[in-house]
Amino acid sequence: MTARVGIPSSLLYYMHFPMWKTFFNELNVEVVISGNSNKNLLDEGVKEALADACVPVKLYFGHALSLKDKVDYLFIPRVVCLNRRTIYCPKFLGLPDMIRYGLSGMPPVIDMKMDVREGRLSLLKAYTGIGEIFGATRWKTFTAYYKAAKKAAFYQSLLQKGLLPPEAMKIVLNTADSGKKSPAGIEHDLTFAVLGYPYEVHDDYISVGVVNKLKKLGVKVITMENLPAGPLSRQNSDLDKIMFWTFSDWVLRGTHYLFKTGSVDGIIHLTAFGCGPDSMVDKLMELASKKYKNIPFMSLTIDEHSGDAGVSTRLEAFTDMVRRKKEVFK
Amino acid sequence: MPRVTFPHMGESYRSFKMLLNDLGNDVVLPPRPSKRTLDHGVRYSPEFACFPLKILMGTYVETCRLGAEIIVTSGGVGPCRAGHYGQMHKKILQDIGFPVDVVVFEPPRFHPIDFLRNIQKLNPDRLSYRAIWDCIKRAWQKLSALDEAEKLTHVVRPRETVPGATTRAYRKALEWIDRSYTSKEISEAHAAALEAIKSVEQDPERKILKVGIVGEIYVLLEPASNLEIEETLGNLGVEVERSMFLTGWTKDNTGQETHEIITVKDAAMPYIPLCIGGHGRESVGHTVIYAKRGFDGVIQMAPFTCIPEIVARTILTSVSREYGIPVLTFFLDEQTGKAGMSTRLEAFVDLMKRKKWQEPGTGQAAVNI
Amino acid sequence: MKAYLGIDVGSVSTNIVVQDQAGKIHAGLYIRTMGRPIEALLKGLRQVGESLPPDIEIEAAGTTGSGRYLAGVMVNADVIKNEITAHAVAASLLVPDVRTVLEIGGQDSKIIIMRNGIVTDFAMNTVCAAGTGSFLDQQASRLNIPITDFGDLALSSASPVRIAGRCTVFAESDMIHKQQMGHSLQDIINGLCEALVRNYLNNVGKGKEILSPVVFQGGVAANKGIKAAFERFLNLPVIIPEYHNIMGAIGVAQLAGEEVRKTGGTKFKGFHITGLTYKTGSFECGGCPNGCEIAEIYEGDRVIGRWGARCQRWDIIN
Repeated sequence: MTARVGIPSSLLYYMHFPMWKTFFNELNVEVVISGNSNKNLLDEGVKEALADACVPVKLYFGHALSLKDKVDYLFIPRVVCLNRRTIYCPKFLGLPDMIRYGLSGMPPVIDMKMDVREGRLSLLKAYTGIGEIFGATRWKTFTAYYKAAKKAAFYQSLLQKGLLPPEAMKIVLNTADSGKKSPAGIEHDLTFAVLGYPYEVHDDYISVGVVNKLKKLGVKVITMENLPAGPLSRQNSDLDKIMFWTFSDWVLRGTHYLFKTGSVDGIIHLTAFGCGPDSMVDKLMELASKKYKNIPFMSLTIDEHSGDAGVSTRLEAFTDMVRRKKEVFK
Repeated sequence: MPRVTFPHMGESYRSFKMLLNDLGNDVVLPPRPSKRTLDHGVRYSPEFACFPLKILMGTYVETCRLGAEIIVTSGGVGPCRAGHYGQMHKKILQDIGFPVDVVVFEPPRFHPIDFLRNIQKLNPDRLSYRAIWDCIKRAWQKLSALDEAEKLTHVVRPRETVPGATTRAYRKALEWIDRSYTSKEISEAHAAALEAIKSVEQDPERKILKVGIVGEIYVLLEPASNLEIEETLGNLGVEVERSMFLTGWTKDNTGQETHEIITVKDAAMPYIPLCIGGHGRESVGHTVIYAKRGFDGVIQMAPFTCIPEIVARTILTSVSREYGIPVLTFFLDEQTGKAGMSTRLEAFVDLMKRKKWQEPGTGQAAVNI
Repeated sequence: MKAYLGIDVGSVSTNIVVQDQAGKIHAGLYIRTMGRPIEALLKGLRQVGESLPPDIEIEAAGTTGSGRYLAGVMVNADVIKNEITAHAVAASLLVPDVRTVLEIGGQDSKIIIMRNGIVTDFAMNTVCAAGTGSFLDQQASRLNIPITDFGDLALSSASPVRIAGRCTVFAESDMIHKQQMGHSLQDIINGLCEALVRNYLNNVGKGKEILSPVVFQGGVAANKGIKAAFERFLNLPVIIPEYHNIMGAIGVAQLAGEEVRKTGGTKFKGFHITGLTYKTGSFECGGCPNGCEIAEIYEGDRVIGRWGARCQRWDIIN
């Protein structure tokens, strides 16, 4: 019988799932995901997680719980640093511990540490460690890692071409339903950047469908993943000291890049209620928007009670504002 | 002469004031955080910023209005947000219209050159490094004296026979330490202070509970932010041991890590194998150590939305269950009211009393009030 | 004479205006929604329809407010606009060079920053009701004083009491505490006004550049104590428009007029709809674990609108 590994479809899922899935499949391990977020998952998570945690963590608890009896292992890597420069938010660092000690009766957690600051081969080592759990030979693990890394690069290239992660993931993993074409035909006259952490922006449930709502309002949406990687890594964010956290650093760089190039009509910052790093990121974005008045900026806070109506009103008002402004200046 | 100010953290200002004066700065003393401080802080800080950022923001607005031009503060290498507070405060203060400079001291073992450059910014009298070193040594001595006097009050207060006697003796002792200047004077004031606090009339027969306090550094060290929890506990007949003092923390962050922190790390290892920023791992480690040392309970204090402490709290539930030690957590912010806190503290103390003296051997339940 | 109809269905009140092209208001109605938006709207439309001079012809109709979609399908509006845009348009209609709009209604509050007649920034209340009118309503009933007396009582106070708390519950317990300490009623009421303004500025108004002229609208603008508190905090004069409580409807009437100029004719069904029967229903969709609660509205036996779904499954295709 093949082993089954559960990967909660939240947090780092949107960044690394194609790589992880490929890796496990190459080792003949079945991958089970918890699927799209929904009300049940969130409710379960809210019940179990600490009240003071942020919504994404609560939701992650829900995702992890739903996999409890379906898998032999849970894959929750301890992702510390992947770019030698910034590290992940403390919640990612403590995530395996929170799941292991915060929930009872969970399957064993695979929590390989991924920290590229520990040497060039540290990632390969981490994956080798995973391979050992499933009794794979070193060579087999190595080829699996190689194929997974190639898949990750392909995924990345699609994102750089302007696809949003959910669309790109379908293509990479061949799960796109070829018969039904996505409604890409909607006309748009504006382009907004929706900046925020991937697990908020691309989780249609928790973001209250921000991306789709904007599409319906005739707005083309781009996200952090679509910004060119090269210029972004050279972009400074007017700080004496760069942000510690990978995603926050990324959002800030993206903000400054967009403000300086002026390549979008509006910037929306999507942030979760009670997110620690975002309290600073949002303020810094607001201060930046005061400096660069060329692009309108709005920040949108979401939480487990976010009403559809409030979000729609804000998005409509923001779109109206940008559109009227554009008409006047034409 | 540059007008310099710094964060308010308990009684430590007495030492920093002396040091900065010695280097030839005009010191603007930070006022003890008050309602008004918080008002300013809440008004200018991001809504979900943590409590320390808001209090410091308010303090800086107050001191800037008094004419401060340079703010001295500590940095950090993350992943806790506090490491960014220096530049965050600077940007916000400049946005409000105060042309201040913020001098951020990063841990010298990572940034030695930066450290020396910062010292020169605060050295208008152009003292030699040797003279600066002497000033720092004296300031350190004073800081240690202040910390030890405070530590002693935690032991004496629960045993005092006249309510408030310890606090009165402590206030007096603080003044003595404050007035001392030369190394000799500081040691004398130090000795006299300890003596004065020790000689507070105590009841040796009294049954005392012992509680360890863990959590985030600022809310532990600034009584104004934790609603004087240690004094409140002392008055309830509880001896507290705080896991963190400024002198201990500075040692860990300037030079070598001390031996003590390594054992804390070891204690936390089975639960949380790497640093998650802030003092999350320390909170877990200290709780384990307190449990092993036979304490009756642990109180964790953290700012609202503090992620390292949230992670720690999730894990502390298991620690509490495995070691049978009750843990009470306070997430503090500007909404925390003293009345609500005392109610929970009294209930917690009652729970520990029942567990200790009436139900020997039972009471394995973890508490989460 | 040709005129535009503006309808604002909010959570607390339903407002209807009829405004001609010159900007003159021919009917301005403010009634409580009382949780029954359909009935409130039909009642309002009936009253307006009866009171209008016979020579008035409705050339355009627009809806706004949290019930804008409901009202929109019922009257077949030419434009369905969010309340921020509507309020901004109304404010600049009355004070053309307005740069800041403060709006406080029953359950929501917003700030709109405008420059040269265009919205450049805005915010709505995020956390809770402590910066909205219902905060005052609750405290008024706790103190057993009609809300209409609040303004005068606040103005007669010399030194407001500091009432802390960004949340209604905390503010309430602090107020009780201050009462028990023996502060005068006037000072407490003035303190409540200041607390509302402080909460508003700290939440909705945080980080916004508030410049004169400042227009203050919404139901709460009737309260003189709040106006005075804003003037104290901002150190700027605050303008309260004559029709401050129906500004949303005025704005959307104007927007409807603009829209019809583009499309050429109105889709408005006419005042006769007040004779039709509307009913609503709701059910929980079982299509996926989200369990969306779908609300529908029927005109006679025909479904004319559906809301609440997170996907397209229940969209109405005409």
